[in-house]
Amino acid sequence: MTTLAETKTEDLVEYYFEQAWSDGLPVVPPTPEKIAAVIDALGGDPEHLEAVVPPRRGGLTRQILAVNMVMAGCKPEYAPVVRAAMLALCSPAFNLNGVQATTHMVSPLLVVNGPIRREIGMNSGHNVFGSGNRANATIGRAIRMILLSVGGGTPGDLDKSTLGSPAKYTYCIAENEEISPWAPYHVEHGMNPDDSSVFVIASEPPHSVTNHIADDAEGVLDSIISAMSTIAHNNAVSSGSCAVVIGPEHAATISKSGWTRHDVRNYLWMNAGNKFSALSFNDRYGKIYNRNLPRWYKREPDARIPIVPSADDIHLFVAGGEAGRFSAFIPGWGHMTSPVLLRIDGTSPDAAAMCEDGTCRL
Amino acid sequence: MIYDPRGTIDAPVLHLAKRPANLRGLRIGVLDNTKWNGWKLEDRIATTLAQRLSLGPIKRYKKESFSRDARPELLAQIAAESDLVLTGIGD
Repeated sequence: MTTLAETKTEDLVEYYFEQAWSDGLPVVPPTPEKIAAVIDALGGDPEHLEAVVPPRRGGLTRQILAVNMVMAGCKPEYAPVVRAAMLALCSPAFNLNGVQATTHMVSPLLVVNGPIRREIGMNSGHNVFGSGNRANATIGRAIRMILLSVGGGTPGDLDKSTLGSPAKYTYCIAENEEISPWAPYHVEHGMNPDDSSVFVIASEPPHSVTNHIADDAEGVLDSIISAMSTIAHNNAVSSGSCAVVIGPEHAATISKSGWTRHDVRNYLWMNAGNKFSALSFNDRYGKIYNRNLPRWYKREPDARIPIVPSADDIHLFVAGGEAGRFSAFIPGWGHMTSPVLLRIDGTSPDAAAMCEDGTCRL
Repeated sequence: MIYDPRGTIDAPVLHLAKRPANLRGLRIGVLDNTKWNGWKLEDRIATTLAQRLSLGPIKRYKKESFSRDARPELLAQIAAESDLVLTGIGD
């Protein structure tokens, strides 16, 4: 900590830019009062170490967490969400070291479930992935600031992403539980509806799926399957897990056909994929085995290669505004990471610790 | 007050292993990172080095995932069974 003899707010904004303690946008200069309010919301004890953030392995104490949250523009009541998200990101299964350092454009997507969404005013409706809501914007931004400053994910240094993505500024939504015809995501995974949870998945940005024609489940889902079935995204060549966000109008159409969440995930899994011949470029560049795909896939030209190994690797959410027949497919990074679901207090619904071989993936 | 947002690093400083004075006969371990073509390059380098420098036997190991850390047990096994280790990353 340094003391400047005279400081004006605008000087501090420039000072933080000069130190490269920013995501490229102006930060809110942290003051002792604002930091103290966030530390209080975290339970006091500013030196308490919450996590170690790779690849730099910087220590994320409550004080450092609070400084970054204030700089990102967070209110103190967002603190449990940001903390739980960081605990999820820093758990071994997620492999944040790889997510931060890879040449791929991956960024963690945070999805929040349960009562805390409403308590802190998160947006789960119109423009859910877009701008305009303080909680969504600044929670995601605080996570990115921590990944940059504490985790050392500086572009070109420890972050080697070739292209990056806009999701590397902020990538945080809430599920629209109120409008969804199905049980919320965290309830599907064994939690109580009154629990609040955070879910993180290392992923590419959303790919829009339009279908303004279909009046049945198959029609809507076939459009999502079309978006999933390409050889261009990372799931196609590296397996892993992905997310599908169904817009409320599409969800209503699917539900009217009597389909459950389970039916939807199974149908997507059964029908999305590519032939191995497409993934191996028809041997144009020599015989390719692809060691990133599960070993139990057939490496034969006509073999169907699913987008992810099982229907449970498709993480399904309902989000967005009530008008518009749109959904989104969100490809994951690949088998190198496993998504993590935590209760808002940071505890896990299962005892998963090491998921290196995929046996205890979410 | 200026608050530094980076947090401190509390990790032991690690040093590189001592360089052997003579390479002749030393056991070489090759850790395949499982990238598509990485093992081809590593295998060629290990074989060439072994011939040119009269190294000892080559033993090959494989990580579960190119992006994740190798399992601690695997690292311990490599350390116990090798005098030199060759690894790297590449598609």
